[in-house]
Amino acid sequence: MSRGEELVRWLEKELGGNFISAEATIPGRLFIDLKREALSAAAAGLMNRGARYQVGVGYDARKSGQGFGLVHTFAFDKDSLLVALRTFAPGDDPEFDSLTPLIPGAGWSEREYQDLLGLKFRDHPNPRRLVLSDDWPEGIYPLRREVPHDLMPPAAEEVAFRLDEAPPGTSIVPFGPFHASLHEPAHFSVYVDGEDIKGCEYRGFMTHRGIEKLAQTELTYNDVPFVAERICGICGSVHSVNYAQAVEAAAGLRIPRRAEFIRMVALELERLHSHLLWLGVAGHLIGFDTVFMQAWRIREKIMWLAERLTGNRKTYGMVIIGGVRRDINQDRSEDIRAVLKEVEREMLALEKAILKDRTIHRRTRGVGYLSREEAVKWNLIGPVARARGVDIDARRDHPYAAYDEVQFEVPLADSGDVWGTLVVRVKEVYEAIKIINQCLDKLEKLPKNQPLAVDLEGPIPSGRQGLSLVEAPRGEAVHYVLTGEDNRPERWRVRAPTYPNLQAVPSMLLNNKLADFPIIVGSIDPCISCTDRVLVVERSSGKAKLLSRQELENLSRGKRSKK
Amino acid sequence: MWLWNKIKQLAISFRAGVVTLRYPFEPRPAPEGFRGQPVWDHTKCIGCAGCASHCPARTIFLRDICQEVRILLYDSSRCTYCGRCADLCPEKAITMSDKFELATDNRQDITQSLELFMMTCQRCGRCYDLEIKNYIDRLSSLGYRYDSLEARKVIRRSTADFSPEELEKTVTYERPGRLEK
Repeated sequence: MSRGEELVRWLEKELGGNFISAEATIPGRLFIDLKREALSAAAAGLMNRGARYQVGVGYDARKSGQGFGLVHTFAFDKDSLLVALRTFAPGDDPEFDSLTPLIPGAGWSEREYQDLLGLKFRDHPNPRRLVLSDDWPEGIYPLRREVPHDLMPPAAEEVAFRLDEAPPGTSIVPFGPFHASLHEPAHFSVYVDGEDIKGCEYRGFMTHRGIEKLAQTELTYNDVPFVAERICGICGSVHSVNYAQAVEAAAGLRIPRRAEFIRMVALELERLHSHLLWLGVAGHLIGFDTVFMQAWRIREKIMWLAERLTGNRKTYGMVIIGGVRRDINQDRSEDIRAVLKEVEREMLALEKAILKDRTIHRRTRGVGYLSREEAVKWNLIGPVARARGVDIDARRDHPYAAYDEVQFEVPLADSGDVWGTLVVRVKEVYEAIKIINQCLDKLEKLPKNQPLAVDLEGPIPSGRQGLSLVEAPRGEAVHYVLTGEDNRPERWRVRAPTYPNLQAVPSMLLNNKLADFPIIVGSIDPCISCTDRVLVVERSSGKAKLLSRQELENLSRGKRSKK
Repeated sequence: MWLWNKIKQLAISFRAGVVTLRYPFEPRPAPEGFRGQPVWDHTKCIGCAGCASHCPARTIFLRDICQEVRILLYDSSRCTYCGRCADLCPEKAITMSDKFELATDNRQDITQSLELFMMTCQRCGRCYDLEIKNYIDRLSSLGYRYDSLEARKVIRRSTADFSPEELEKTVTYERPGRLEK
């Protein structure tokens, strides 16, 4: 009996009448419907059986008379199984049991839906605002169906986010919202006793621009990959591939083999440049600029390669639903091999020169320590988790595209600190090179001149669920798609890898020196934009207004309502 | 050990030398297949609106200013250069050029607009493209109108918009690509 069947049987027995249905859409996915009374019991049962919490997805299903839907997804990494528990609450009483006391990593997801959908969570330990800005008026929930995507309500007056009081004996050092060591806006209020960090509070989501709302109201299925790609400036392909996979899973579409390998090449190229970028940034943050300069010099070769392959350095634009847009032919494949050979040689030289350097050891060893148990408790993912001995990698555990056909290793470290993260990331560079070379071998053997994308045979039926994982350079990214009408998804949820990792940063900072703050936050490679899910929302009126300097000043200094 | 590492790092840095390009003092051409600014070929465009309805950034607009003239406006300020329009164009009228130095203080520099001469279907009243082979249809591009519904099949009459200059310009009109073979 497989793990999925066992779980369904157990849930049926345990929950009795509260269990509604279970559906296994494709291998490795299990979608379960429950009554909301049974949610916390079912979640606790899954956690006791070794599940890893991923993300919560809330959506407005009042149009179909179901009220508000809430989906919690869990991963069984050993069994290659993803489980989604879905419950509904009536529209006039949107209250659910909070899972946060049981699973701390669920805290943000629940706060998000409290802000965006007006759901209530019983016994949430920290039910404060997360996503919406402080001056967003109470009672307007942007993700609800009746709220237009370009609504700009007048700002609420006399409101401010109340940060916690500093613990006695400590003082507050603010980092952000804009700070030289943070590359994107985020606010950390760090409590220090002398030089030692005694705690920290995070207030982020300052770049939230409502990309999910946009997909649900304005875009169509095949527009979203290009918009998804712009969620992140580093791992764009991860999001477009992930979205396309989720839709393909929901629509039951099988994409051409060749397209799967081309997607893998794009993903691994992205991993290569992302790891080199991070290595450079980490070097820069600890004041070791030789690493910064040399890592970025090596990275530039990959950027140029990507430009030749896809037409752009960063936003590859390779993915559409059903396949890819550009082929990798023999010439390009030789080009890739030549560049990778060069990168590998340069990387080995750089590694030998820096990994034994005392500067790096002194600044990273023992810094940002988190034990394996803590890492599991906070559902850490990616290199941050692997540096703490947690052996997870979506490419191996939940193989997508054609990852089950290539051989690679998942590097691990057990030091639990920034040093471990660095080692893991450097080793992953060589694994990525290995994977790309294997993909190219396979591509050369596959028949050429085949179509690179398959067409949908009809409209995608509404109400189907799709769940997809992609191992981004920073950890796994999760996309959940619920298909809808009018050729667009009813709900599309993006969970970037920084989302869980950032929640554990306060624990990582504890009892470290203040001077190590930048490298600890930098060690998770925080992608604030991914986490906030960014996109400029602009109505396609064709009109744009240029602001004069005076108007800009009024906007930034005066209140909007006084204008 | 420390000194040895520093020597190695020095060696790497020296071997790499100066990698900074002399751009913009020396031009740096974009590689083949680069997705730069899209360029419309007005002689090929048939005004089907495929690009406008598929643009993920919604930056291509189509408006019918009157029954015969359709305006296609491309506002580059919000373009993400994904190249979806060029992929979908049935007439291959859009090419992703290699132009990427697009910074400007005048919006008009990067805006493209096409005035497309459209025919009106006498049955459904919607626009369609000028067909070179149909000479009766070509008459309407020169300003002729039906004078009565009953007689619309044959009789046409010059209207007030008739201009001899326009006739001069369009009488030799040929749609490239269609006539090549």
